[in-house]
Amino acid sequence: MFTLKYKDDLFRFILSVFVLSVISIFLIAVAIILYYSYPAIMKYGISFLWVKEWNPPKEIFGALTFIAGTLAVTFIALIFAIPLSFGIGIFLQEYCPHFLRGIFTVIIEILAGIPSVIFGVWGVLVVVPWLRTTVEPFFDKHFSYIPFLRVSENIGYGILAASIVVMFMILPIIASITKDSLASVPKIAKDGALAMGATQLDVIKDVSLPYALNGIYGGIVLGFGRAVGETIAVVLLIGNQAIIPKSLFSVGYTISSLLANTFTFAVINPIYASAEVELALILLLISLIVNIIGRNILDRVIGGKFNRSQFGGG
Amino acid sequence: MPENNTSEKDRDNVIVDVKNLNFYYGSYHLLKNINLYFKKNSVCTLLGPSGCGKSTFLRTLNRMNDYTEGSKLTGEVLINGKNIYDRSVDVVELRRDIGMVFQNPNPFPKSIFDNVAFGLKIHGIKDKDFIVERVEKCLKYSALYDQVKDKLNKPALSLSGGQQQRLCIARAIATNPSILLMDEPTAYLDPISTSVILDLINSFKKYYTVIVASHNIQQAGRISDYSGFFLDGELIEFSEAGSFFTRPKDKRTEDFITSRY
Ligand SMILES: Nc1ncnc2c1ncn2[C@@H]1O[C@H](COP(=O)(O)OP(=O)(O)O)[C@@H](O)[C@H]1O
Ligand SMILES: [Mg+2]
Repeated sequence: MFTLKYKDDLFRFILSVFVLSVISIFLIAVAIILYYSYPAIMKYGISFLWVKEWNPPKEIFGALTFIAGTLAVTFIALIFAIPLSFGIGIFLQEYCPHFLRGIFTVIIEILAGIPSVIFGVWGVLVVVPWLRTTVEPFFDKHFSYIPFLRVSENIGYGILAASIVVMFMILPIIASITKDSLASVPKIAKDGALAMGATQLDVIKDVSLPYALNGIYGGIVLGFGRAVGETIAVVLLIGNQAIIPKSLFSVGYTISSLLANTFTFAVINPIYASAEVELALILLLISLIVNIIGRNILDRVIGGKFNRSQFGGG
Repeated sequence: MPENNTSEKDRDNVIVDVKNLNFYYGSYHLLKNINLYFKKNSVCTLLGPSGCGKSTFLRTLNRMNDYTEGSKLTGEVLINGKNIYDRSVDVVELRRDIGMVFQNPNPFPKSIFDNVAFGLKIHGIKDKDFIVERVEKCLKYSALYDQVKDKLNKPALSLSGGQQQRLCIARAIATNPSILLMDEPTAYLDPISTSVILDLINSFKKYYTVIVASHNIQQAGRISDYSGFFLDGELIEFSEAGSFFTRPKDKRTEDFITSRY
């Protein structure tokens, strides 16, 4: 006899198995990364984080160049993407005429699903020539006294090219989540402001955005995750030279593009391989740390106490 | 047509005058030829079973139905003699003179202080001292000040339901509107909070014209100067509270008052 209680227990058991297997796969992956990076951690110690040199023949390995390249591409892409995707999300949800909203939403969802190699090819064919022939000459002429904007080798490839393309890859993610978060703001909360004589802009600024902040933050984290780990598009665009970028137009290297380019040779030498696996570990830690810091900032911004469930229907 | 309002002779002090109002949700004809008027500094309750159109009617008075897709309205709502559905009327402007309190407390996701100051700020008032003074005053009016004076910067959503509703009242009166619309403001509150809010409403008629939707006869009896009864989108009866509750003219009103709905 299958009693109801028994069915309930069975269902709970099956769910627990699913959850536990996902968690254990994650833990096993972390364990493998730790295991393989162990030799490098032992040999190079904590200074691995700030040594600039990366010289496989001499077995001198330092992560700083790649950490710098990864953070540069990720944050520049986010700085461009966040305001743009806010604009797109707010427009789609609050201002766009109904019949267009559907079309735009579909376009954005398609964009979010395009394989990254296509973005990379587009970057090489369009963004790089545009930077080389238009943007870099312009900055070279007018802003060469600002170190951060200096153009050293007018080739188009580099941090900016990679950041622009990565921005286009994360834009649809953040924009569509911004839109969905705004859509889930309770109508009664917006009504409250409208009834007071608020304009639509007041409502967005003072009611919808504060409400949607949690969701929008989730979108930014997803965008960050995609940007920090983006590989193929970056390999094609960043120039792949192990130097620490000092300017927006400088070439560079990210952790993921280094691994994509060299890991197949690296496995031949255990300590070389171990150093690269340690880079992967660092990438994982960057994601975790950014997540935790972001969550804390957000809790402070919105007071951490807001409870949506107090808005019922009716 | 049912005999609405008292008589034509005491039409002075009319602030809201509704004429031949019809309202449609798409093809659904909800409000059917409503005629009534509200007088300055009085409390009017609009009674009726759930679904009879009370909320929709209240929302026609500050044009909150404008956003409902596919809705249609005919007739006139005159406020101080001016038809608010006139093309020249700026809805944002209109709503600044009409406060609204909703069935569910809906404070903004901001601090207690900022909730009450919201109306003043969007109306362009910058004077800090004035805002602080006004916020305090309104929190006192709405009998909330003593409970929140030490935590004005705490999130409004951390308050209890009854406190949130009083905060919404403080927020609505902060800009000193002449009309206050309240849509079943006590529907989700405990008896003590309800009682506090009913007392508030009674004290408000000195300053405002208060129009309250309610389906609770006892509560309406405690606060009304005038009462109306809606049924299926029709205004069955509207009269002074005394006669409304003791000698209703229509059988359906009587049935409702004696709780047969
Ligand atoms: N946006 C809407 N679209 C269509 N029908 C609606 C809408 N809002 C309310 N109604 C309908 O109008 C009727 C009256 O609703 P309402 O004004 O909320 O009544 P009450 O406040 O008296 O309970 C109900 O039958 C409800 O289903
Ligand atoms: Mg209602």
